[in-house]
Amino acid sequence: MNPTFGSILIKVLAGAVQSGTILLLPTLGEVLTERSGVLNLGLEGLMLIGAFFGFLGAMKTGNPYIGLLLGMAAAAAAAAIHAFICVTLRGNQTVTGLALTIFGTGLTSFYGDSWVSQRLTTAIKPMAIPGLSQIPVVGPILFSQDLIVYAGYILVALFWFLLFKTKVGVNLRAVGENAKAADAMGVNVVGTRYFWTILGGALAGAGGAYITCCIHPYWLNGITSGKGWIAVALVVFAMWNPFNSLLGAFLFGSIEALQLQLQAAGTYINSALLSMLPYIATFLVIIVATLIVRVRHVGTPKELGIPYAREEK
Amino acid sequence: MLRFEKRDKTPVQLRVLVPICSVLLGLFMGSVVMLFARVNPLRAYGAIIKGAFGSAYTFSETLVIAVPLILISAGLCLVYRMKFFNIGAKGQYIIGAICGSYLALFGPATMSRPLLLTLMMVLGTLGGALWAIIPALLKVYWNVNEVIATLLLNYIASYILWFFMYGTWGTRGFPLSKNFALNAQLPRILPSPSRLHIGLFFGLAAAVIVWIIIRKTRFGYEARVLGENERAARYAGINVFKTVIIAAVISGGLAGLAGIAHTSAVLRVLQLEINSDYGYTAIIAAWLAGLDPLVAVGISVLLAALEAGGYQIQIVMRVPFGIVGVIESSILFCLLAGEIVTHYRVTLTRRLAA
Repeated sequence: MNPTFGSILIKVLAGAVQSGTILLLPTLGEVLTERSGVLNLGLEGLMLIGAFFGFLGAMKTGNPYIGLLLGMAAAAAAAAIHAFICVTLRGNQTVTGLALTIFGTGLTSFYGDSWVSQRLTTAIKPMAIPGLSQIPVVGPILFSQDLIVYAGYILVALFWFLLFKTKVGVNLRAVGENAKAADAMGVNVVGTRYFWTILGGALAGAGGAYITCCIHPYWLNGITSGKGWIAVALVVFAMWNPFNSLLGAFLFGSIEALQLQLQAAGTYINSALLSMLPYIATFLVIIVATLIVRVRHVGTPKELGIPYAREEK
Repeated sequence: MLRFEKRDKTPVQLRVLVPICSVLLGLFMGSVVMLFARVNPLRAYGAIIKGAFGSAYTFSETLVIAVPLILISAGLCLVYRMKFFNIGAKGQYIIGAICGSYLALFGPATMSRPLLLTLMMVLGTLGGALWAIIPALLKVYWNVNEVIATLLLNYIASYILWFFMYGTWGTRGFPLSKNFALNAQLPRILPSPSRLHIGLFFGLAAAVIVWIIIRKTRFGYEARVLGENERAARYAGINVFKTVIIAAVISGGLAGLAGIAHTSAVLRVLQLEINSDYGYTAIIAAWLAGLDPLVAVGISVLLAALEAGGYQIQIVMRVPFGIVGVIESSILFCLLAGEIVTHYRVTLTRRLAA
């Protein structure tokens, strides 16, 4: 293999892992939220809130990790609004999620207006894992990344184990499949739904803050550019399984990395068509994934989007 | 502990009270957000009211924004009733604008004005309908989630517009088409500088027609049954496929018409920014109106006032336009939260008996 071509490919794939992590965190969070029976379509708004407050925190404290945590906290607080309206007040989950997206977009462009184009001087830096990063090809792609990427790997394994191998996971799934039965078993339905909705919000915020605290360390209105919606679609692609989320997120990360490389390489492919690529791909994937889910009957929590009303027999 | 008892019927006063309280609370939440940014909310709201209703001209500009909102929300009232959550009005608006503008920019120059304009409006409507029929077919045949599908189609439509504007439709490398010829400009109805145009009558007609469809026709009855209980609708022999697709075509078509009417009458040029976010604002209008297209006319004017005033405070007070989104979404949050009291009798008890 031509060495220069090989090194370019490794660079592209390493970039794909970074772009993939932006999508992985919200997707993972939404997998768990939806497993508990709550549909949160507000990921785009939550990511923007995470991105802006993460950036603001990093600017004010000079520490991008504190920024990231603040971004997560802000998005978790916004997700709590969703939980309150959808779980306690049994509101329409589709429209509430949409309201959350409008809210996040409006709020961050209102407060973010005076921060547009300001740059962060202390962004999150990569930290190669000694030993693992020395492995040819795999090392530079997977193990010469930053802490957030590694946290993504760990969360995938952790949530997979939690969901399928522990009592917590059984209860969580029971709440999303049949809330009445779970309630009869003594599971706290309301508490479970609140917890995973808020945690899902924090992870969406982490995805957004990862953009502004690491990959593009500056602020622009609407900087997430639809990634939250791609993450919502990836949940279907992943069939509500944390491990598949990783595959989906990295696949879409690769599409984005490819698009950036093609854009940088030359202008003979129209840039509008290139920018459209991830959305077209997501559109096709959501169709195929829906068909597969229908045939194989896997995944979809049975009571997704349906509020639980204890007193109604 | 809160205790919920299902209501059989919602009292009329609650139907009115909940939206009014939602608007007031939404404005209050907007003020809290403004206070954090050291903006005086009273001054801002004063400027919004002045910017929206201050003079005959500013009010006509408010109506300019209301026209697309009325058209789009009328269609949304119909599809949302059958729980088809089309949030792709933005994309349908853009595709409608592109299709109609094609004729304006490249159509035969000798065509008479009424004929050309009619064809442009028809083409725009068809374009929007086409963009809505894709997710509708995917929904009824394969059960593909229409929220995600319509939303992705919004992004795809935006980039299609980019493609044309940076490509052959732009002029000298700028993403701006040549000006529409007089024959391709939808007539304005008030003396200059007002930009209010005959699209207002399209909007009012659409609202009345959709209201009649919902209230007085068999199709509207079927749509309502379908929205309340899909299984019951199937047992009653209602063709669910046909009903959803017709409704999606109507709502997409109206969004497309809004797109081409606004482009042809107000902008008179095709460009990247054609105010397609009205597609999102109209969702709020439809929901706030309780999915009644006639009520939606009034709500559209109010939301249009907020947007027109929002542009004004951005220019005059340098308050970022994002505040409009904060207020609109806060109103929607309160409305969604408030629906609990329209559906249930809520009482506070010391402890819920299990």
